[in-house]
Parts: sequence; C-alpha cells; structure tokens
Amino acid sequence: MNIFKKSNLIFISIFIILSLFLLKNIYEKKESMLQIQKQVDKHQVGTSNTTEYPLTVIDETGTAVTVSKEPQRLISTAPSNTEILFALGLGEKVVGITNYCNFPEESKNIEKIGEISPLNYEKIISLNPDLVLAYGGFQLKDIPRLRELGITAIVLEPLNLKDTFKSIKMIATACGIPDKGSLLVNNLTKKVDKIKSKVSSIPISSHPKIFIGGTSETIYTPGAGTLFNELISMAGGQNIAAGLSFWKKINPEFVAKAEPDIIIVPIGVMNQEEESKIKEIISKRAGWSNIPAIKNQKIFIVDEDLFYRAVPRLVEGLELLFKIFHE
Amino acid sequence: MNKSLIQLTSLINWKRKLFLILLIGSLAVLGIGIACLNFGTVSINPKDIITLLINGSQDKTKSLIIWQLRAPRIVLGILTGAALSTVGGAFQGILRNPLADPYILGVSAGAALGACTGIAFQYMTGYLLSSYLPLFAFIGAMLSLYLVYKSSKISYSANSTGLLLSGVAINFLFSALITVLLALSRRELHSMVFWLMGDLSSANWKKISIITLPVIIGSLILFFSSLDLNALSLGEEEALHLGINTSKLRIRIFVIGSIIIATVVSFTGLIGFVGLIIPHIARLLVGPDHRIMLPVAAFLGGAFLILCDVLARTLMSPTEIPIGAITAIIGAPLFIYLLRRKN
Repeated sequence: MNIFKKSNLIFISIFIILSLFLLKNIYEKKESMLQIQKQVDKHQVGTSNTTEYPLTVIDETGTAVTVSKEPQRLISTAPSNTEILFALGLGEKVVGITNYCNFPEESKNIEKIGEISPLNYEKIISLNPDLVLAYGGFQLKDIPRLRELGITAIVLEPLNLKDTFKSIKMIATACGIPDKGSLLVNNLTKKVDKIKSKVSSIPISSHPKIFIGGTSETIYTPGAGTLFNELISMAGGQNIAAGLSFWKKINPEFVAKAEPDIIIVPIGVMNQEEESKIKEIISKRAGWSNIPAIKNQKIFIVDEDLFYRAVPRLVEGLELLFKIFHE
Repeated sequence: MNKSLIQLTSLINWKRKLFLILLIGSLAVLGIGIACLNFGTVSINPKDIITLLINGSQDKTKSLIIWQLRAPRIVLGILTGAALSTVGGAFQGILRNPLADPYILGVSAGAALGACTGIAFQYMTGYLLSSYLPLFAFIGAMLSLYLVYKSSKISYSANSTGLLLSGVAINFLFSALITVLLALSRRELHSMVFWLMGDLSSANWKKISIITLPVIIGSLILFFSSLDLNALSLGEEEALHLGINTSKLRIRIFVIGSIIIATVVSFTGLIGFVGLIIPHIARLLVGPDHRIMLPVAAFLGGAFLILCDVLARTLMSPTEIPIGAITAIIGAPLFIYLLRRKN
C-alpha cells in the first residue's frame, strides 16, 4: 500500500487538520480556564459571612460560574442536589426537581423537570430559574447547551464524603448563605469524627467482613471508589469487594470464598421485596450455606438512599453501619 | 418517430413531476415544521407563536423557547431526516440490497466509536471535551470511511458485495470496540448509551449552520447521479453495457453519502430506522426512478422525523423518549401497511 497515493494523502491530511483543530481548541480553552482560576483565586472570599453579588464559583467541571444576584428560583437536576438544598433550608426557593427526587417529603409537590438525562431544556427555561444545580456524569453533555441558553448552571459531582461536604459549601456560598453551609458541614464532620474515634479504638482484627448485595441473580457490589465502600471502612468494616473498583458484577463463588460476617441488602427503587423474603432468598443461594453471615443470620436490610447519594444523610448511613458492625 | 415522441413526453413528464414534487414537498415540510412549533413541554398559545414569528418577541422566555429550542430542533430534524433518507435510498441503489441503510457501510460505527472515545476521555481531560464531541465523532467517521474505502479497494471492488462486506466488517470491528469501551466505562456509560440512541435535543443554530452545506451539496451530487443509479438498478452488467463505470459510481456515492452521514450523526447521534424505511416508502409511493424517488424520500424523511420528534417530546412530557424508539414504533407498522396495500 503506497502512502503517497492521492486518496491516502487526502484522508491523512483531513485527519491531521481535524486533530490539530481539536488540540488547538482544547489548549486555548485550558489556558483561558487557568487564567480565570487565577483571577478567582485572588478574589476568592469563601469564608466571609457576608456575600456580595456578583460572585464567582469554580464548579466541578472547572468552569468559572458567575452568579449575578442572590438566586431566588432554584432548579435541581439531581436527587442529591435536592436533598442538599432542603438540608440548607433553601427548599422554598426550589422551583424544579427531577422525577427521581424523593426526599425530603416536602419536595414532593415541587414541579418536575423530567429525567436526569437528557435534560428537558424547554421545561427548565419555562421555570425561569436564577440558578440550576446540575450533576456531572450523565449531564456533562447537556451542560454546554444549558449555558448557551443563558442559564447559570453550577455542576457538582461529589464522589466521596469530602466532596459531598465541599458541594454543600459550594451550594451554600452560591445561594448567599455560606455561614449556614459551614455550620451544616461542621455538624456533620463532628458526627463523622465521633464515629472515627470510636472505630480507631477497635482493633482491625475485629472489623467484620462485609458483603453488600441484592436478591437478583446477577450480583452487583460496590468496590473501591464508591461512597458505600468509603462508609464501610469508616464505620470499621472490611468490604470484601474493596479490591475491585466501582460497581462490579461478581460471581457468587467470590462471596462464598470471602466468607463475609455480615450481609447488607440495600433496598429502594431497584429492590422492593419484603424483608423476610429477601433474607430467605439470600440464605438459600447455592453454595452459600457456609458463610458466617448466613449461619448466624446476620443479614441487614437498609435504605439504599442513605448510601448511594452524596447528601448529608450519608452520615446517618455511616452511623447505621457502625451500629450494625459493632453494637 | 413515435418512439422519440414518447421519450420526449416522458422527459417533460419527469421534469413536471419533479417540479411538482419540489413545490408540494417544500410547502408541506414548511407547513409541518411550523405546525410542530406548537408542540412541546410548555404549552404556548398558537396565536402567540404567530405574533412571535411575525412581530418578534414581547415575552423573553417564550421567544427563547421558540427560537432557540423548538425552531433549531425542527430544522435539525428536517435536515437529519432528509439526509438519512436520501443517503439510505442511494446506498440501497449502489448495493442493490433492500436491507441497506446509511449505517450499513460503517460510518455510523466510526462516528459512534469517536464519540464514545471522546466521552471516555472527558474525565481524564478535566471536562474539556464535552463540547467537542461532534468533532470526535466526525474524526471517527472519517477513519471508518477510510478503512472501508481501502479494504473495498483491496478486495474485489468490481461488485457491490465487496463494498457491502467491507462496510459490514468495519461495522462489526468498531461495534466490538464500542462494546469494550462501554464495558470499561463507569460514570460515562449513560452518556455513551444516550449518544448511541440518537437525540435532537441539543440542536442549536450553530450546529445547523455547520451541517446545512454538506447535506445540501452532498444530496445534490447524489441526485445528479440518479440516472446512473437507475441504470445500476437494471443490473450490474446492464449498467456496464450502458457505459457506466459501476465501481467508480459506487465509490463516489459511498464517499459522498458517508460524508453527509458523518456530518449529521456527529451532531445527532445514531437515529435509526429512518434511513432504512423512508426510501422504501418513497419507492412504494412514486416508483423506483431515483430522480423522483430521492427528492420524495428527502421530504418524507424530514417530515417523518420531525413528527416523530414531536411525539418523542410530548408523549411523556416532561420526560423525553429517545427518538430512535419512536421512529421504529411508528415506522414499522406504517411500512407494513403500505406494503400490504401495494400488494
């Protein structure tokens, strides 16, 4: 094959031009972002109690978002953001939430904007929001369009407890109540520290082995990098799947071999069977009769929302796990 | 003498027919497009829309919804539907295969692989890439176009099977790579799956300004190849006897069609079914002459896609149903009905 044939040359040059164009754009964008970051770093207030608008926040996508006045109409595009807003006492300003936002109870009557992704731009615009609190991940591809339409959007994507606290503070700052955010985070941190100090007095050898799983045939379990895994180790347990990364489909043999002391079954949207039925199904899985958790009937059923969502309620989840593991 | 008279009248008839089709088609699509402006999550009084279209806006939210959301979406839908149907019809012609669609020769798989790679990297590069996904998709599409072109040249380029099989092979290869990416991805999975399902909701005027020219110029080139396509539909040998270089024709249609599809799907994702069924419906309605069939397919495709999109965004509002699902659910029964009536 001769590289210098006409057709080859045409295609290769198209590739090179397109790739260079892409690289140039990315480079320029990165440069401009770095500059904005520098400017914001200089003027960052963050800790002061009075908030002056317009204020600029750097969100999780590294974008400098300027909020021009204290937002009065908020839209949350993720259940976690909705919960944080209500925890901060901003519930009354929320004018739109997703179909999946089910907590707290008071949020039930707020207008729905539809699915988490793709976002329904028309619905969002019609609600005339001052600030949209979006979620990374699924919504990353929708965010540029949202901003193009002139909507102020802050993107959050907390993947662990620390980031969750950061998100709470960021939302509080953007909404003009930074002191309230710090207060909430301080309270939560105190609770976490209490559990941590209790756990530190327990020798590692008596940390129980934990397996998280449901009742369906295919078993998915949270590994390293998930909120659940973080909470288990904080509460003084050893996740048998800690060696895996993120949510993984595992073989039942893996669980039989790991011999967990405690089995935790999260229930919620994905799993709505009765407790006794769940325990029965899990106990009767082939090859699992030797697992200590099943022999001693240490199967616990918990509300999944306490462990899957990056919200203040995670701390409740943490306390619950500690209770299950060590009390 | 009699014969040449028939030829003459058929020529006049053909031109008159085409003129009528262009006139009726564009008026119909325009009408349907304006009618579609009425539908959406937010209900806006048709009177308001008319005054808004004529006099400009008094209400900022409403004009934003009409001009920045609904109108670009409808225009993008028309362009996409027209492009998919025209290219589908032309590909069915060069491959002499009724199952051919614009995606069968691998461009879509290339675009999908490009887009999924872009999505997979968007975390690593710190979120920079999300607005450059179309470019990724286009680069992927060009890569697959190149590979299919090369492998069909190496293999037996003299007949349509070579091109078809090269396309299918590249399709399989790229789909397998996409599956690997999907299996490896974690947070990105959802974005990738949605891209693969196709979506018009991200339409804006900038995207439209980018895809309009390639679609129109490309479709015109396809249209001016209509006579050659007609000859090819008689059979490979017959076309050769008529003095048509069939392998060159195939390559030309393949490259032009693929570029059209690459530009469109880079922005919309893979909207299925339109490109397969609309050319058949056009053929059922006006016969197999490509000079008439291709324009009819373009108008039908555009109108069909925006109507499907209206359903997609209103049926379960505010939730949007993936448009690819609607096209198949509406299109398949419609097609079977037309087939039965024809028989």
